[in-house]
Amino acid sequence: MSHTPTKHQGAALWSDVIRRVIVELRGLFSDIRSRLDEAAIDDMEHLLDAAQRLECMLGVSQDSDAAHDMMNVLAAMRGYAEMLLEDLGPAHQPIADALKRLLSAIETAHTEETGIEPGADQRTIATDPGFILAVDDLQENRELVARYLSRSGHFVVTAANGEEALSTLGESDVDVVLLDLVMPGMDGREVLRRIKEHPEYRATPVIVISGRQDMDGIIECIEAGADDYLFKPFNPVLLQARIKAGIERKRWHDREEQYRQQLERNEKFIRATFGRYLSDEIVTDILERPEGLELGGDLREVTIMMSDIRGFTTLSERLAPAQVVTMLNRYLGKMTDIILAHQGTIDEFIGDAILAVFGAPQKRDDDADRAVKCALAMQAAMEEINAENVADGLPAVATGIALNTGKVIAGNIGSERRSKYGFVGHPMNVTSRIEDLSAGGEILLSDSTFRKLSHRYPVCDTRELKVKGIDELVTVHRIEAATDG
Amino acid sequence: MDDLQPILLVEDNELNREMLVRRLSRAGMEVIIAADGREALDKMIEEQPTLVLMDMNLPVLDGWSACREARKDERIKHIPIIALTAHAMEADRLNALEAGCDDYATKPVDFPGLLIKIEKLTQS
Repeated sequence: MSHTPTKHQGAALWSDVIRRVIVELRGLFSDIRSRLDEAAIDDMEHLLDAAQRLECMLGVSQDSDAAHDMMNVLAAMRGYAEMLLEDLGPAHQPIADALKRLLSAIETAHTEETGIEPGADQRTIATDPGFILAVDDLQENRELVARYLSRSGHFVVTAANGEEALSTLGESDVDVVLLDLVMPGMDGREVLRRIKEHPEYRATPVIVISGRQDMDGIIECIEAGADDYLFKPFNPVLLQARIKAGIERKRWHDREEQYRQQLERNEKFIRATFGRYLSDEIVTDILERPEGLELGGDLREVTIMMSDIRGFTTLSERLAPAQVVTMLNRYLGKMTDIILAHQGTIDEFIGDAILAVFGAPQKRDDDADRAVKCALAMQAAMEEINAENVADGLPAVATGIALNTGKVIAGNIGSERRSKYGFVGHPMNVTSRIEDLSAGGEILLSDSTFRKLSHRYPVCDTRELKVKGIDELVTVHRIEAATDG
Repeated sequence: MDDLQPILLVEDNELNREMLVRRLSRAGMEVIIAADGREALDKMIEEQPTLVLMDMNLPVLDGWSACREARKDERIKHIPIIALTAHAMEADRLNALEAGCDDYATKPVDFPGLLIKIEKLTQS
């Protein structure tokens, strides 16, 4: 290690500690010498002898040979001190304490003289092993790199040209590419370009290797996406360090990618599971604001749709269960598609009844209009459904649809164990009553919905209905399915 | 540890050599010594030690060259070598591995760690 300003300062400190401890040890040693065995006496004399040599070295100006000798003396002192600590430590507390102080001073000396902490070597070499692809047209270079890196636990594959390198990348999960820039045929720049353009390889760190004079080439490569560079002939320590950094970068990327895929899988799962019951908006809403899954809701104006197949209960009593299920699935499947296409939120199916809402979780200006268009489309679809029913030997059916607009509580309702995005409020009940009064093929709109419409729809008639459980009369408008396609 | 076959310690610094011989003997090993690279190769061929602990900065023939030669010699190429590098220089250690050493230990030697390395190499 070279001379640094702090070095002599530090040397003074540790050497002072060593001097003091040695004086102390001499005293302690002569006190108990008669009680020690031959081996311990021998070790102690070696230790004191080495300390004597150290004393001669300290203060003498140090060239690198002298520093080397001093390291040897310190190493010897450490060895004897450790042996004495093992042998005498348990029985002689003052000696054990002095020896521990001596060892600690020797460690300080070592750290300050070399700038490297004992044991640091273990850390620098023991890096996370990686899969390295070394690309070089010269066989001896490939072999050299492979030997260096496989010694420190990396798995190394080599490629003699660009084509080989790219095909290796395709076959295995490479952590770092070491790329020689100058190669016949496809050169390093071209290989780099292809790696960085490839959707799968682009995240693989590339370290380019070039001659010392080729700074421009290196800059060009860094701009083209190279992660690091090395000049030839490369320093093995630097090579190790860069490889290590490259592997770490790749690991980070891999973890990030894994995390992203996990999220994507979760999202897909949620969409697939809940998308059957919820419109895309609600699913997106849940995915974007998971905190929105908390129980509770807010008061908002929505247009409510309820529909029912007329006489379905009686019908289902006459049919075999399998036939009922076939018919229901056909009907509800078509209706679901239509409602979701009109950005409605299906709240629930109860048997053949459908409860859907327009305007929650996402409010739009044309909620009422979309609800009406949706109802018209649903009625129009009945023809096709019935044609299929008849073909299967099933009866034709007719549905009645009611629409009503009002303020309801929308949100997650239920308990922690079981909750659903749902709606509560008086307008829900009103809608249900209106629906009870609708005939097959009819669409009934409450006046509140009618007044929200920005488009005109042919209204067949307007009546006032006495609705069960509600004191005042409810004005409803009837739109016939046949009037619109 | 095999009692019949010794391990060879190659170290030019007398102080350190003595200390290591003492420590290795205490650990139950029979130790033979060499003070330079050339002597090390001769002792390896003659004595067939179970393992060699070799300092790299050696006179006459340095440790790296001695390792390279040992690896080319049919008679001794199988004997495991642990490099002892005096300075905490990573290049020294990489060069030692590169020269054919099986493992390395930096000086001052962490003795319990060294024993583990010795045991690992002599058992396999």
